[in-house]
Amino acid sequence: MNEQHEQLIADYLAGSLDDAGKTKVEELIASGEIDFMEFRELEKLHEDLGSLLTPAPSKEMSSNFFAMLEEEKRSIKPSWVESVINHIRQVLEELTMPRLAYGLVLLFIGGFVGTQLNGDQSEIEQLSQEVQDMREMMMVNMLEGASAADRLKAVTISSELTSVDSEAIHALLFTLNNDPSVNVRVQTIEALKRWGDNERVRQGLVKSIAKQQSPIVIIELADAMLELELRNSAPEFRKLIEERTLDFTVKQKLENSIAALS
Amino acid sequence: MDSTSDKALMMKVKNGDLDKLGLLFERYNRPLFSFFYRMSKEAELCEDLVQSVFERILKYRETYTGDGKFTTWMFSIARNAHIDHYRKLKREGIPVEIDEERLELDDEETKVVVNKQEKKDLLEMALERLDEDKREVVILSRYEGFKYKEIAEILESTEGAIKVKMFRAMKELKDLVHTLNEECSNE
Repeated sequence: MNEQHEQLIADYLAGSLDDAGKTKVEELIASGEIDFMEFRELEKLHEDLGSLLTPAPSKEMSSNFFAMLEEEKRSIKPSWVESVINHIRQVLEELTMPRLAYGLVLLFIGGFVGTQLNGDQSEIEQLSQEVQDMREMMMVNMLEGASAADRLKAVTISSELTSVDSEAIHALLFTLNNDPSVNVRVQTIEALKRWGDNERVRQGLVKSIAKQQSPIVIIELADAMLELELRNSAPEFRKLIEERTLDFTVKQKLENSIAALS
Repeated sequence: MDSTSDKALMMKVKNGDLDKLGLLFERYNRPLFSFFYRMSKEAELCEDLVQSVFERILKYRETYTGDGKFTTWMFSIARNAHIDHYRKLKREGIPVEIDEERLELDDEETKVVVNKQEKKDLLEMALERLDEDKREVVILSRYEGFKYKEIAEILESTEGAIKVKMFRAMKELKDLVHTLNEECSNE
């Protein structure tokens, strides 16, 4: 068998052949240039390889990693000049083109509406409320989306709202407790922190502690509790330490948070 | 660039936000462990190697350019960590015994395979007998989901050469399964 045929079969196995390629393989099988029996065996073998299982790594691996990361962080203490530069850089990174364009469009619409209504305050308020409601509705719908990227966008939209109603809070808390993506859950905590004066948000954040498995989300929640001064979260964290085998770093972080909250 | 994409996170790590490496660890510790496990079959060693990969990412974060896929860059580091480990053993004069150990099938084991018709075990053993360079291509393609072009980047080869190697690896694997099957049947 020549190398071209070998490459063709490799592509077939990887599922990367287009229709023309598949036809070519069929023709080569029909002409006997590719041995059908061998081809079938390879196909079956490739499929069988998927049934081999890999064990999960131990929890120590994760603990060792986070301990190493903490050590590295301790060894690098940036000067205040570097901190300021990093902050400015981060702000600039957030200013992506679509956001700038979106901002400009809103500015123009605002200007246009402003001149048309000629200072009619109540109509401006009504219009801005409608825009706000639409964005909120869009956010709730997007939070139910299949892609993590869409759900992340939804969480970002929520952070741009000036106020949220109970439906939006419910959607965000549901996402925090049930979303499969760690990134989405972390961003949701960030978003919920903005509504930290809302009692439902405060209760929801505390209740969420017991539902989280990811060390990153738990640490993020601990930071949020400190920021929002949610003292009733301390017993929840204590329960977590007692009932679960946590990474050393996570445990240490929670103990520090409990001490600060008490 | 999405702020949570691998590249964006790694650029943040590069700029000093080391916590973002935690997110990358959460995403990739399992695929890396699986890669090392399929290559060496020693769970403890695999965990050390995963740790070594992230230590290297931290150490060399300044050299990250963001060109190409992050996973391709990370698996190049993983591959080097694996090679370096065995080079170190060789330098220190420690014999790499695992190959011999895992290739031997004792009588009892053989009977179990035949009696229980555990094709999976047979395939597992055949995969372990495969030459390391071929096994690597099969693992990266079949288990880690890399495209041949990406594997070529990781292994510093060409896409065509990788496809040929994949085909020949699968053919050799098929022959190994047959041989093992016969060995077991003759016992």
